[in-house]
Amino acid sequence: MQVEKFYYDNKTVKWFAYAVLVWGLVGMLAGLWIAVEMYYPPLSMGFAPTTFGRMRPVHTNAVIFAFVGNGIFMGVYYSLQRLCKARMFSDTLSKIHFWGWQLIIVAAALTLWGGCTSGKEYAELEWPIDIAITLIWVVFGINLFGTIIKRREAHIYVAIWFYIATWVTVAMLHIVNSMELPISFLKSYSMYAGVQDALVQWWYGHNAVAFFLTTPYLGLMYYFLPKAANRPVYSYRLSIIHFWALIFIYIWAGPHHLLYTALPDWAQSLGTVFSIMLIAPSWGGMLNGLFTLRGAWDKVREEPVLKFLVVAVTCYGMATFEGPLLSLKNVNAISHFTDWTIAHVHIGALGWNGFMTFGVLYYLIPKMWNTPLYSKKLAGTHFWLGTIGIVLYAIPLYWAGFTQAMMWKTFTPEGQLKFQFLETVTHILPMYVARSVGGAVYIVGVVIMTYNLIKTIRQGSFVPDEAAEAAPLPKVITPHSNEHWHRWIERRPLQMLVLSLVAVAIGGLIELMPTFLVKENIPTISSVKPYTPLELHGRDIYIREGCYLCHSQMIRPFRDEVARYGEYSKAGEFVYDHPFQWGSKRTGPDLARVGGKYPDSWHYNHMMDPQSMSPGSIMPSYGWLYEDEINAFQTPKMIWAMRKLGVPYPEGYEDQCNKDMQKQATEIANRLKADKLVVKPEKEIVALIAYLQRLGKDIKAAPKQETTGEAAIPGN
Amino acid sequence: MQKILKNCMVTTGLLLCSVSSIWAADGPKPPSSLSNPFVELLAIIIIGLAIVIGILAKLVIEAAFVKVDKEKKEKSGSAITTFFTILFVLFSVNVFSQDNAVSDTTASAVKVTLASQLGSISETAYYLLSSVVLLEVLIIASLLYMLKAFIAAEKKALVVEASSAPSVPKIHWWDKINNFKPIQQEANLDLGHDYDGIRELDNRLPPWWLYGFYCCVIFAVVYMWEYHVSKSAPLSKEEYEISVAKADAEKAAYLEKSASNVDESTVKQLTDPESLAAGKKNFETICAACHMPTGGGSVGPNLTDDYWLHGGSIKDVFKTIKYGWQEKGMKSWKDDFSPVQIAQLASYVKSLHGSNPPGGKAAQGTLYVEEGSAAGKPATDSTKKN
Repeated sequence: MQVEKFYYDNKTVKWFAYAVLVWGLVGMLAGLWIAVEMYYPPLSMGFAPTTFGRMRPVHTNAVIFAFVGNGIFMGVYYSLQRLCKARMFSDTLSKIHFWGWQLIIVAAALTLWGGCTSGKEYAELEWPIDIAITLIWVVFGINLFGTIIKRREAHIYVAIWFYIATWVTVAMLHIVNSMELPISFLKSYSMYAGVQDALVQWWYGHNAVAFFLTTPYLGLMYYFLPKAANRPVYSYRLSIIHFWALIFIYIWAGPHHLLYTALPDWAQSLGTVFSIMLIAPSWGGMLNGLFTLRGAWDKVREEPVLKFLVVAVTCYGMATFEGPLLSLKNVNAISHFTDWTIAHVHIGALGWNGFMTFGVLYYLIPKMWNTPLYSKKLAGTHFWLGTIGIVLYAIPLYWAGFTQAMMWKTFTPEGQLKFQFLETVTHILPMYVARSVGGAVYIVGVVIMTYNLIKTIRQGSFVPDEAAEAAPLPKVITPHSNEHWHRWIERRPLQMLVLSLVAVAIGGLIELMPTFLVKENIPTISSVKPYTPLELHGRDIYIREGCYLCHSQMIRPFRDEVARYGEYSKAGEFVYDHPFQWGSKRTGPDLARVGGKYPDSWHYNHMMDPQSMSPGSIMPSYGWLYEDEINAFQTPKMIWAMRKLGVPYPEGYEDQCNKDMQKQATEIANRLKADKLVVKPEKEIVALIAYLQRLGKDIKAAPKQETTGEAAIPGN
Repeated sequence: MQKILKNCMVTTGLLLCSVSSIWAADGPKPPSSLSNPFVELLAIIIIGLAIVIGILAKLVIEAAFVKVDKEKKEKSGSAITTFFTILFVLFSVNVFSQDNAVSDTTASAVKVTLASQLGSISETAYYLLSSVVLLEVLIIASLLYMLKAFIAAEKKALVVEASSAPSVPKIHWWDKINNFKPIQQEANLDLGHDYDGIRELDNRLPPWWLYGFYCCVIFAVVYMWEYHVSKSAPLSKEEYEISVAKADAEKAAYLEKSASNVDESTVKQLTDPESLAAGKKNFETICAACHMPTGGGSVGPNLTDDYWLHGGSIKDVFKTIKYGWQEKGMKSWKDDFSPVQIAQLASYVKSLHGSNPPGGKAAQGTLYVEEGSAAGKPATDSTKKN
């Protein structure tokens, strides 16, 4: 057959590689910033965008979607062309994909700093950006499938199976979790409320880890590790089994983020057991990677690329073993809401994603610039700084998490909680210092890498279009007589796409549908009433400032939590919460029942200067809430949106809501005045106080649980 | 491969069944003997041993085929006899395992009705289950014996061959548990796939990985069964109630023994310096947020004057700290401080009386005069208060 000549597109890969370097540093520095804020709150400088609550989403989004996201595209655009023996489907789409994604990142950073957030972790971006992500993802999909379809290779390699599963699952997760009702250009409310919202959110959140941070990177591992080691992949069967088992089982594990919460018990148990079953499929990837190096371990000592890949795969193995253990209820009872979780995810982020990305960069750049790496020695330095950085980062946080959980749970023999919440925080501050040192060491390594790569780029000459040749695909592919049955689907990318979607949809449907359809799963409580207009505004401020990133609103049924915070949380209490605000970390105490615990004046002083009311607190001050005014113009739209989403405000309440709001605000201002604190009722702090004072109170009015369908009048 | 797929399907099916039964299930179920933890333990042991039997049987069959193949080459007659002997042995194993199934069902049927209890399960059930375990152990022993016999025969053959062939290198345990093939034989495993120079090998799944996977799946089924079908393990809320009941009992036992059992009806004002110092420490870290370190009041009322919102006696102050006045912003501190600590705090507050700190808040509440003190003679300048 005639051999065809064609060219691989290296230019797009180059641009994505540059983006990885830039956004990686930005994301990691944002992380370092908030790590220091944990023990040095004045770093927030009294300026809203630099407070922890707004910087933290910037950090997570930058690292996940900008650093790792561009890392995925860099690796996929490089490996896909070579595995398909074809240039990318369309150069124009590649360009749109690259620039579209970078624009999304910039828009994300700006809106998050501005406090525009949907209040759902790892899905904070507001609706216009969500739509943009969907469009760019479709562009990526067309480019991906276009290339696969016009390939010159009969079968698609395991790396591409992972790319396909990634693409289809991320599309599904993103669309389902981003369902929201806009009320203005940059403000929307989640379609789901309370327990349902929590389930959808963590189904998404967990699988963002699975299908954005894991499966595409496994695909990269399957290409770059055998290439760098020049060894055959250890086991084709293992690839098949661990691929299908991984994508089928992963999707079920989301509820392990909600153990001991108000989520129905059956869903929690499914989260636990599927997490345990996930150990083997996850480890299948690690084993296939490490065993591929059989007979090449001597190269690992020499070759920086392999060093990074080996540590990455090992960290992947550790994190995917620890994850299932954290899903066991008795372990989760200790680890959840503490820094243990933070340590766990950073083994994955710094070790698996970080090191894998560095390995790929050290592989790609010399190849595309047709030159050896500038300095192997500097790469070795980077390797050791990175490894030490990870250890220094993780160990103090494991220690901090465990210590704090134990302190929370300690009672005196008389039956009193032994430690005030604040004591447990100040006790672990030295660990926070050590953690930030670990992070800083890791970043120094990244800077050294950047220098090394720039030097490599300077000494080489870039090959924008790399020549290659291969025979075209025959019209009919005649299968081998005794080939493996899985080869059938490897010739059919579209069937692969459909089957992957089926595999990931099953778990999602079985967990989500009953929670939405079966009423018994969320018993309603008749005394729980919708928020008043002022409280709604307060809630928006609470979401805007990212309070949920440090304060949970979910009292678990444990003796210590009930003693510390009050009656444990019930599913029926959250039916009007669009979005839910259960949180996932307790840097500060739980707020589910903070309503009525302190006088209004306490909150007023505390938001102004937290240390005045809680000496030693690490909370930043929120001075701007005392200057900015509530946007009363938006109130009717908020009421309208909430009613659309099923909150029973009476018809026509839009006309009355602002009057009600003013009345409640004036009452609060008067109470503050009695304590010599003068504030105008229009200020945002008044709304926030109203919301905080409402939290968890409804259930106290009538503890009897019953199902009710009546429309209720807001307020209490 | 197909076996694995089948297994996966069966377990998924089981899980789905248990899930659907959870949605359907409401209200308590009659207690089943299957919910007995001891029975469950035995059942798990039985399943575990059954898996071991399965693995051993497979090995024996493979070993047997090797032997049969070899003997076929030598003379066909004896090969057939060997094969039939093995088949017979395996068949008897099969009969045993059918026995298991039968005894299992009888066990569960009988044990509900029998009144005589051993531990908390019926005697018959206990003996039946343990005899199943015993039988399984016997089967394993016999299989092991057979395997040993085969290996011994192989070894003998190897020794004979060794004289003509070069010595076989020793296999490392690491290679053994992963079922590694020697790297020299890699060419035999090459599947002929080539993706941009990447080849793929046809290595078997590492056995420990595969059986680990099976174990996780079994764990999942048992877990769902325990929590949602037999309901023998406590769900979150039951777990909470159990822990609170246990803690309450421990607390009551402790308080009964210790002298720290003070309440609002028995509390006396403490005047010893240690108690006041302890009270002062807690006051300045916790109470000062609302009452100022001096007790002069800011968010909360002035505690140094003669006027009290909720009574000024030591008992009243104790009560106020202990139960709080929720609607006025004073929370209940009984979960944060022990009775003794509350008594210390109340005594310290009382000791501040008349200290008249600068910047104190204006008086609130009603005049309180200490019992036994001269009536109408407040400790501080009364003109300032009125």
